[in-house]
Amino acid sequence: MNRLSLALSRVIARVADSALGPHQTAVIRIGFSLTWLLFLLREFPHRQELYGPDGPWEWDLADQLVTTNDAFTVLLWSDGRLWFEAVYALAVLWSLLLLLGWRTRTMSVLFMVGVLSLQNRSVFMGDGGDNVLHLMSVYLVFTRCGQVWSLDARRARRSARARAGGERPRDRVGPALWSVLGFLLLLATLAGRTDGDPFIPALLWTVWLAQALWWLAGRRPRTGQPRILLDVVANIVHNGALLVIMAEACLIYATAGWYKVQGSRWQDGTAVYYPLHLEYFSPWPALADLLSASGTLVMLVTYATVAVQVAFPFTLFNRRVKNALLSFMILEHAVIAVVLGLPFFSLAMIAADAVFLPTSFLRRLGGLTARARGRLSPRRDAAPVPGPRSPAGRAAGETSPEAAPVPGAVPGPRT
Amino acid sequence: MNAYDKGSDARHGPAGPGAPHSDAAPPGPVPAVRPPAPGTPPRDSAGPADRPPGARTPGTGPGQDGGSGAHPGAGPGSGPDTGSEAGPGPGAGPPAEPRTGVAALSLRYQLGAAVALAVVAVGVCAHLGLTFLHVAPLNTVSKQHRETIDSWIYPEFEQNWKLFAPNPLQQNIAVQVRAEIRTTDGSSRTTGWYDLSARDGRAIDGNPAPSHTQQNELRRAWDFFVSTHDSDDRPVGLRGALSEAYLRRITVMRLDRADAAGPDGVVARVQVRSRTANVPPPDWSDEKIPTTPAYRVLPWWSVPGDESRGGIG
Repeated sequence: MNRLSLALSRVIARVADSALGPHQTAVIRIGFSLTWLLFLLREFPHRQELYGPDGPWEWDLADQLVTTNDAFTVLLWSDGRLWFEAVYALAVLWSLLLLLGWRTRTMSVLFMVGVLSLQNRSVFMGDGGDNVLHLMSVYLVFTRCGQVWSLDARRARRSARARAGGERPRDRVGPALWSVLGFLLLLATLAGRTDGDPFIPALLWTVWLAQALWWLAGRRPRTGQPRILLDVVANIVHNGALLVIMAEACLIYATAGWYKVQGSRWQDGTAVYYPLHLEYFSPWPALADLLSASGTLVMLVTYATVAVQVAFPFTLFNRRVKNALLSFMILEHAVIAVVLGLPFFSLAMIAADAVFLPTSFLRRLGGLTARARGRLSPRRDAAPVPGPRSPAGRAAGETSPEAAPVPGAVPGPRT
Repeated sequence: MNAYDKGSDARHGPAGPGAPHSDAAPPGPVPAVRPPAPGTPPRDSAGPADRPPGARTPGTGPGQDGGSGAHPGAGPGSGPDTGSEAGPGPGAGPPAEPRTGVAALSLRYQLGAAVALAVVAVGVCAHLGLTFLHVAPLNTVSKQHRETIDSWIYPEFEQNWKLFAPNPLQQNIAVQVRAEIRTTDGSSRTTGWYDLSARDGRAIDGNPAPSHTQQNELRRAWDFFVSTHDSDDRPVGLRGALSEAYLRRITVMRLDRADAAGPDGVVARVQVRSRTANVPPPDWSDEKIPTTPAYRVLPWWSVPGDESRGGIG
């Protein structure tokens, strides 16, 4: 019993005291925002046809459907061309800023608004990749996905350094952003634009209020209990959302796998042949013919696909097996991207897979990226290297400034 | 994060492999300021930044059960932790950071954290449970709670992962259209069939990133139409009417792009049909499958004036 409560208290401390998986959440943030950004850029020439007020799924048709399903989309707030262009451009901007991790929490909310607005506006344009992005954009809002590999992390390091040097950095952008967005949200609510399904509007208001609380608590003395409590709550919410993201990925694979088991084509080992010969999914017919030239090979790939999809959730209990299957699935999605002509679906799935990548691998990847970037541009604010970099560090004697004010615990910039 | 990530992989901030494991750190108010192990290479650009050393230790350290204070009923065990609020650790030059985590909270606030934990735990379980029931086949539980499930899942958490399952589509379904063109001199003519899906297929050929307009638009519009019409092509409900308007607008837009009406004509009516052909079985298979295509021909639809003048995207 004692061991049990000890173990329980460890688990509680673990989920309450830190936002787990900082690298994993950062990599999925980058992955999903990059997928959406590339998609929006690719579809830029077709944006009117896909989401514009005069496209085949015209504003009036979408409005009738959304009135019945109550989905959230700002695109139906006005049928003006200008409004549409502005929302599309903002969706591009928001995904770029989320990718960079600038004001990550706020951008994750706006990213979600962009994704939902476009997708719910034209539901019949999407495919599985859009569906993944739709769900993940909502889940990302609950995470602290800007802890590493983000402009926020860089800003946190800088302000920590400034603080160590005795300065008191002030943040003006945050409150300004908060005020503008709050004003817009208030306007939309008063105008009755958020009267559909209450979930998304409630989420928007909750995040907005939470940020106000966070800011207020940060103005209290630095050891203030409210701030620590908010930090703990944010950690708990982050860890819950991370669990949901991982479970969602498992649900995707489990569903895809278990339904396949029931299909006769997956049983007789020919299933993989068919998508390769559908007009809509064969950009490279010669390649498809080559891949399906051998019946044995097709059968092996067919069986492996089902086996891996069904097995994946269970392999999470063993690191090595999980990593082996993960590489197989990432590879398979890369192949699907080319062979079936589904690059954005595949990119979204690979981003979802990335939440299971081991920390050591992600750190190496981060190191490589940092070095590559360092070669391209002079390092101005790279990794915080312990040592005599900041004059404040020398002044403080043995105390390394980087170890002292840790952004993770610094009230201001963490989102 | 891995489900079995036991924290052995460089999770403890600046302390490198050779440095003392932070679990072995003394319990109690840990000095918030700890110099990194001398000579420890920076293992990660964000190592020290994202992982407050002082913040992690208290929760995981042995004997530091203050963390359990977050659990309702742990009671006064959190007494000593409140002392840690008192301020900077020993030897801190610059203003030291406050401790974080449940251990640094007073009992009153720990209760708040416990409530948050309970709410999030219930929320996560409920969401995952409902999502599971939504994607699973209809079963005893999901039949009983269908309304609850639907009211939570729709509209934003709807999902369908039957990717190429239970069986992949084994037919090429082509949507074709022909038009009745009315010319300025009052006469009218009927065009031949335009195979719009074949045009999509040609646009996709050799295309590394096919557009949704080529890959999804017509294909899914036809699926939408079929799922909202009965076998006599009568629309079912509002969605049936919407799908008809949608399909008509797509075909008119594409006829316009193909300049089907010519310089002096307008599209007055359109007729849509589908051509369903089995994918021929692979060479190495001895299956025999009929290759004659099946057609489903819809009635003629009149095109409203504003649409036929090319007012579409």
